[in-house]
Amino acid sequence: MDSPIVITGMGIVSPLGCGVKPVWSRLTAGRSGIGAIDRFDPGDLPVGIAGLVPDAGDDAEAGFDPDRVADRKERRKLDVFTLYALTAADEALSQAGWSPQSEADRQATATVIATGIGGFGTITQAQQTLDSRGYRRISPFTVPAFLANLAAGNLSIRHGFKGPIGCPVTACAAGIQAIGDGMRLIRSGEAEVALVGGAEACVDPLSLAGFNALKALSTNNEAPGKASRPFDRDRDGFVMGEGAGLMVIETLAHAEARGATPLAVISGYGTSADAHHITSGPDDGAGAAAAVQAALRTAGLTPADIGHINAHATSTPVGDRAEIATLRRVFGERLPAIPVSATKSATGHLLGAAGGVEGIFSTLAVTEGMLPPTLNMDNADESMADLDFVANSARPQATQHALCNGFGFGGVNAALIVSRV
Amino acid sequence: MSRRRVVVTGLGIISPVGNTLEGAWENVLAGRSGIGPVEGFDASAFSVRFGGEVRDFEVSDYLSRKEARKMDPFIHYGIAASVDAVRDSGLEINESNAERVGVSVGSGIGGISAIEKGHEAYLGGGPRKISPFFIPSAIINMISGNLSVLLGLKGPNVATVTACTTGTHNIGQAARIIAYGDADVMIAGGAEFATTPTGLGGFAAAKALSTRNDDPQAASRPWDRGRDGFVLGDGAGVLVLEDYEHAVARGARIYAEVAGFGMSGDAHHMTQPPADGEGARRCMTNALRDAGMNPDEIDYVNAHGTSTPLGDRAEAIAMRGTFGEHTPKVAVTSTKSMTGHLLGAAGGVEAVFSVLTLRDGVIPPTINLDDPEEDLGIDIVSGGARERDVRGVLSNSFGFGGTNGTVIFRRID
Repeated sequence: MDSPIVITGMGIVSPLGCGVKPVWSRLTAGRSGIGAIDRFDPGDLPVGIAGLVPDAGDDAEAGFDPDRVADRKERRKLDVFTLYALTAADEALSQAGWSPQSEADRQATATVIATGIGGFGTITQAQQTLDSRGYRRISPFTVPAFLANLAAGNLSIRHGFKGPIGCPVTACAAGIQAIGDGMRLIRSGEAEVALVGGAEACVDPLSLAGFNALKALSTNNEAPGKASRPFDRDRDGFVMGEGAGLMVIETLAHAEARGATPLAVISGYGTSADAHHITSGPDDGAGAAAAVQAALRTAGLTPADIGHINAHATSTPVGDRAEIATLRRVFGERLPAIPVSATKSATGHLLGAAGGVEGIFSTLAVTEGMLPPTLNMDNADESMADLDFVANSARPQATQHALCNGFGFGGVNAALIVSRV
Repeated sequence: MSRRRVVVTGLGIISPVGNTLEGAWENVLAGRSGIGPVEGFDASAFSVRFGGEVRDFEVSDYLSRKEARKMDPFIHYGIAASVDAVRDSGLEINESNAERVGVSVGSGIGGISAIEKGHEAYLGGGPRKISPFFIPSAIINMISGNLSVLLGLKGPNVATVTACTTGTHNIGQAARIIAYGDADVMIAGGAEFATTPTGLGGFAAAKALSTRNDDPQAASRPWDRGRDGFVLGDGAGVLVLEDYEHAVARGARIYAEVAGFGMSGDAHHMTQPPADGEGARRCMTNALRDAGMNPDEIDYVNAHGTSTPLGDRAEAIAMRGTFGEHTPKVAVTSTKSMTGHLLGAAGGVEAVFSVLTLRDGVIPPTINLDDPEEDLGIDIVSGGARERDVRGVLSNSFGFGGTNGTVIFRRID
């Protein structure tokens, strides 16, 4: 029997702040990280809200301070999504106590950091420079800052991790696929420890306009904190967010041998495709159900074992409905008895970072015995009125096994199961 | 856990040297360059004005005009090479096998052209001018996504993005997905369309590109003393990978076995390898170990060989470290001398050439090697293709961020 894969460290950068502890405390207190966009002028964009990572200047307790992660000179070479990944990694590696010094340990450490988009802001800025000032003014750091795999690359360089480097870019399922890829690298013996998760920082006029053109975003500019309302009758689209969620994973045997504390077990992982439509899932939720079932199978669990679900739930009318169809397919009549949380109600949708951040929330749900709330759950969608969404306030409840979903454009589905040690 | 054998049963290519399997192969064996002046946009104001563009490509052979308009060209190339590879494999996808067939086709850059156009539309007319197809036309997993919709593929749907190692990592990871039983068939490889104003301008600004504007076909010259950087290329290379038993059961033609796969990180520098190629050596060694093969079972290396001063030398040192005394017996080429550097598609296109080398027992040349760097200690095939019985082929890819990938193909006898 293979030694189980455990999480030994976690780090987070999110609209609710930086640091697992303050973010969890704010999430379970029912705070929202969504607000009016103040970083640029949204002009006549119909969407003026987002889940932006707070600055240290505005949020002394848990704001993001770029100087703490890289000096001004180095920052010219790094896109913001990489800065978020570096910050979350510092926290995760420190909690795990993993800072390999020997060549063997360095070679045995993999780095798999997902993103949905990569250095989007770097490219739009370069395009502006090209248009207004010509190619000679393009920074030599444009390409390496933009590339999607450079969060992983820079982490590997900074910490001396010489094992496999990976970067799944599968839209909003990418973060969970990164965790799954890391598990496989450990199982196949190519790595003993993997730093996994996702990072995203693409809230920009062009990306907002692009998602808005798809009619995917909420336009509730009057009440930003109310805009992300998964499963609620009045939901009208998702709210873009940014940040990073990273974990250190290794086998239990490896963790114990080096005296590290296992936080939780990653017991199952599954992934599948809808083969249906590029931006929406099938109404029957069959594709996503295959991913959840594969995760249950690899965990050796049955639907009856799952005590909590952190749903993908982005707050789009179609997507939320399809996810419930998926859950009903898998859990059948038992679904109303399983509490379902939609933490995007508080963070917005972090795209390629969502799976990393929500994997952490699922882990905390089992380790802390506390289910995070689904905010803005005022009137459940009529077709879901029988379900338990942990409405509006957190709930103390012991959980052995939690399911975490991530689905993305292109019809890509991924599911993770986190279990108490 | 016992791992299943994985074989190659289909190939597809769209490239500067041709858009059909046999056409592209004939050109590289004949040593014909696919590099020329940039025609896709006006590059007259750029310091680099040439590249390896795809020519005579008809997207309507694969997609309706209406569908094609919703996708960046990197998706067109990826879909075309994949559809050709599936046709080549003779695999029929139906209700009974759809959940066991997946896709893993990545791109190093993705929809940079779509982002440029979206940005221009935004600057010109504000958010209302942004097309609803902008986001899905640009994001990288939309080759895998669209293929899944087009062909009804319901198995694992992934897209790894690791700069110039993308194609190789997707192939290796897809092979793992089959080996561990998560799917029976995977369509795997990479696609790229980065010969655009910001793509070309960005790599030129990074001083990564050759500036030999007066003689584009001589610009990509791996290991030659006169090399001065790589040449940007576009296209796609895709393999159909299959569980061996599955391929045998359906009577498929088997080109080769995916014998081994290895990865590593340099942990050194964002855009340059360590001078001694230490990370690349570990990567090749990992692949050999994974394959359970000795260095003397490899007869040919399709090198990463991009034509940059530091990279080519580091790779030669890494090969010597990997193959030891067997090094002189290993034939080496860089087909990038003819195709240019296809970034995220390079590993896909070079895997196609590697498999064809095994099939035909003929090794393509490295062109433009007029004045080889001294003391490399490797046997670079130049001055024409070389016939040789080839048992095992190793194909390398290395990328920005210090990410390395090696895949090994072996003949099935």
